[in-house]
Amino acid sequence: MNFFHFMLQNHEQVLELTLEHLWLVGVSTLLAVVVGIPLGIMSAHWPVWNKPVLGTANIIQTIPSLALFGFLLPVPWLGDRADRLAILALTLYALLPVIRNTYTGIRGVDRAVVEAGRGMGLTPGQLLFQVELPLALSVILSGVRVAVVVSVGLATIAAAIGAGGLGEFIFRGLAMVNNQLILAGAIPAAILALSADFSLGWLEKRLRPR
Amino acid sequence: MERTSANSPEIEFRDVAYVLPNGQPLLSGLNLEVQRGETLVLLGRSGSGKTTTLKLVNRLLTPTGGEVWVNGTPTAATDVIGLRRSIGYVIQDAGLFPHYTVERNIGLVPRIEGWTTERIHLRVAELMQLVGLEANLAKRYPHQLSGGQRQRVGVARALAADPAILLMDEPFGALDALTRDQLQREFLSLQQRLGKTVVFVTHDLREALRLGSRIALMESGKLVTILSPQEFLRSTEPLAAAYVQAFGDGLDSAANRGMS
Amino acid sequence: MAGETIAATMRPDWREARRGVLKPLQSLGWLILMAPLLTSCAPSHSDRIVIGSKNFTESLILGELIAQQIETHTHLKVERRFYLAGTYICQQAMLAGRIDIYPEYTGTALTAILKQKVGGDKAEVYQRVKGEYEARLGLTLGPPFGFNDTFAMEIRGEDARRLNLKTLSQAAAFAPQWRAGFGYEFMERPDGYAGLAAAYGLRFATPPRVMDLGLLAPALKNRQIDIAAGNATDGLIPALDLFVLEDDRHYFPPYEAVAVIREQVERQHPDVAEAIAELGSKISDQEMRQMNYALDGQHRDVKDVVHEFLRSKGLVQ
Repeated sequence: MNFFHFMLQNHEQVLELTLEHLWLVGVSTLLAVVVGIPLGIMSAHWPVWNKPVLGTANIIQTIPSLALFGFLLPVPWLGDRADRLAILALTLYALLPVIRNTYTGIRGVDRAVVEAGRGMGLTPGQLLFQVELPLALSVILSGVRVAVVVSVGLATIAAAIGAGGLGEFIFRGLAMVNNQLILAGAIPAAILALSADFSLGWLEKRLRPR
Repeated sequence: MERTSANSPEIEFRDVAYVLPNGQPLLSGLNLEVQRGETLVLLGRSGSGKTTTLKLVNRLLTPTGGEVWVNGTPTAATDVIGLRRSIGYVIQDAGLFPHYTVERNIGLVPRIEGWTTERIHLRVAELMQLVGLEANLAKRYPHQLSGGQRQRVGVARALAADPAILLMDEPFGALDALTRDQLQREFLSLQQRLGKTVVFVTHDLREALRLGSRIALMESGKLVTILSPQEFLRSTEPLAAAYVQAFGDGLDSAANRGMS
Repeated sequence: MAGETIAATMRPDWREARRGVLKPLQSLGWLILMAPLLTSCAPSHSDRIVIGSKNFTESLILGELIAQQIETHTHLKVERRFYLAGTYICQQAMLAGRIDIYPEYTGTALTAILKQKVGGDKAEVYQRVKGEYEARLGLTLGPPFGFNDTFAMEIRGEDARRLNLKTLSQAAAFAPQWRAGFGYEFMERPDGYAGLAAAYGLRFATPPRVMDLGLLAPALKNRQIDIAAGNATDGLIPALDLFVLEDDRHYFPPYEAVAVIREQVERQHPDVAEAIAELGSKISDQEMRQMNYALDGQHRDVKDVVHEFLRSKGLVQ
């Protein structure tokens, strides 16, 4: 049975695991964005936060992913459900690119434009939402793109602790020495990563300010 | 001179000082009055404190000593956002929002002040005509405009909410000589029509003589002297004289508003 | 005239949509959230039954057994998700509703999942596990399949005969002269080596060698080790002439194989529960060993082996 035939026969399972994978990546990216962008804005506006925020995110990144999954397993509420744990871990890994790019994006906005806005009487909130963020959007999105692509990859490891997703195919395939299963997990995961990279990259280009 | 509301100064600096957090003084002992409807030029070289002075008017900077009064009230006691919205601010290179069209740039303050779309639209059209921008540029983005056009948009934007005061920080500095000349002319005619109180920062004596009703010469954070253009040309004050000499010929015509 | 120009302003311009930062982020957010709505915590496969298994031969056989039994006795479609990498993974998959049934051992459920101390005989352990599963986890157990795959302390057949050894207590006397070999899990688990050594007073001359489960039997045969901790239903035991010492002090907890079923599935599909119940007490230790050997020793296909077995028991035609 060749690979396509295999995929066709097991399409329900493939679809289910792909959706599980998307769930893991989607929720964690959303959380990283909700937490990371404000932290990035904070570091950009108040440099005193720069070191602690970026420093912490950096430290988290250096922890090997499987080790982080392992650390979190014994934690009471988290360890009970593997997908909760995986989502938390994925969120933590997604933070650094989001925070760092938000910081860079906001700092990269032309100081003259910001000053003109201030001088015209824009409140700090208006300045942030109508000037700084729209102009930094492309760079921030670039950070989100990196976060998503990395998450798609990391989520395959999450299957090792039972969180499901396409990694499950890979681990099962490894245990059974079944290449088709491995590919059934690896190829959709690669496609997911590539399409996310491509579509977000396209969006980035469209949003780039002149 | 007795002060009545009719002749009270629009802007006042009372013994103002501005010192940086690291202790470096940018301004000291500044006493200055700007009368309603005049164009006061702050002239000086970089580091003289002229931009700092300008920014103290709309409280982009806060004085570390003394008080700045605008329209009879100390700026420290005024709501800063309201203050800034009632003052037009034009900077070098215009500082236009690159992600907004010309239209949205000009209409910014009216929009955040809550004007109706209709009213904003009419105002924008009016202003574009006033500063000499073709109506079809309304939907363009700043990067699609020339330097001169951008600066015109900057001025239109500053005038949008019809402020009484206009602050201009070397607005024509980045333009080529021809465009600069053109815009200076247009500024003069605009001033004649609108009668705004303008504080204009420049390092160019020619421009100062041409545009200012009075010239405030600044050096090292202190006000050296305030003179009318004609007085400035004949001044024996050492720094003023040095300026006149440095700028060479043809200043007369500048002092006479370019009628040569 | 004014109306025209106003209408012109209203015409959507892609770049105008950037005005707030909310718009693009919002659409992205919806996009990301849309897909996972389909994979909410509730199971998305009410029309089929998903059977899981762990990643070793015996679990595979039991999983296939359950699958074929359900296929032949109900009208439901069965999906197989075998070779899941361990107890925790299977448990998580059950809780998340990704699988509906999988084969587990009562002893493992008690210690590894419920994290309780072992004690009591087979029936007591079974009842405890069943009770806790139903009360706390929303899962239930089918009846035991009939065999007890507990840890088996194995020695070479020739040594057993020569030294006339039948029980672990007897063998303990020779421990100082022997080398022991154990798998990783046995070394680590509290109900593994540590407890055993205490219960029987085992003292080996050198620390036990830790190795992959699959390498234990050959190592024993080749005299690299003298005693190993294998499984009671290991297929290679008769083939390699290995002898299982009797656990006379009843140290090892019972490991009766059962099907763990999600309560929701049991309620929705009573025919599934019935089909599984028919498998109760149908497999003896010996029969399980034979099936294991058919796969491990003879490399036969699991589907054939299971089908044969079901036929022999009269459960299928």
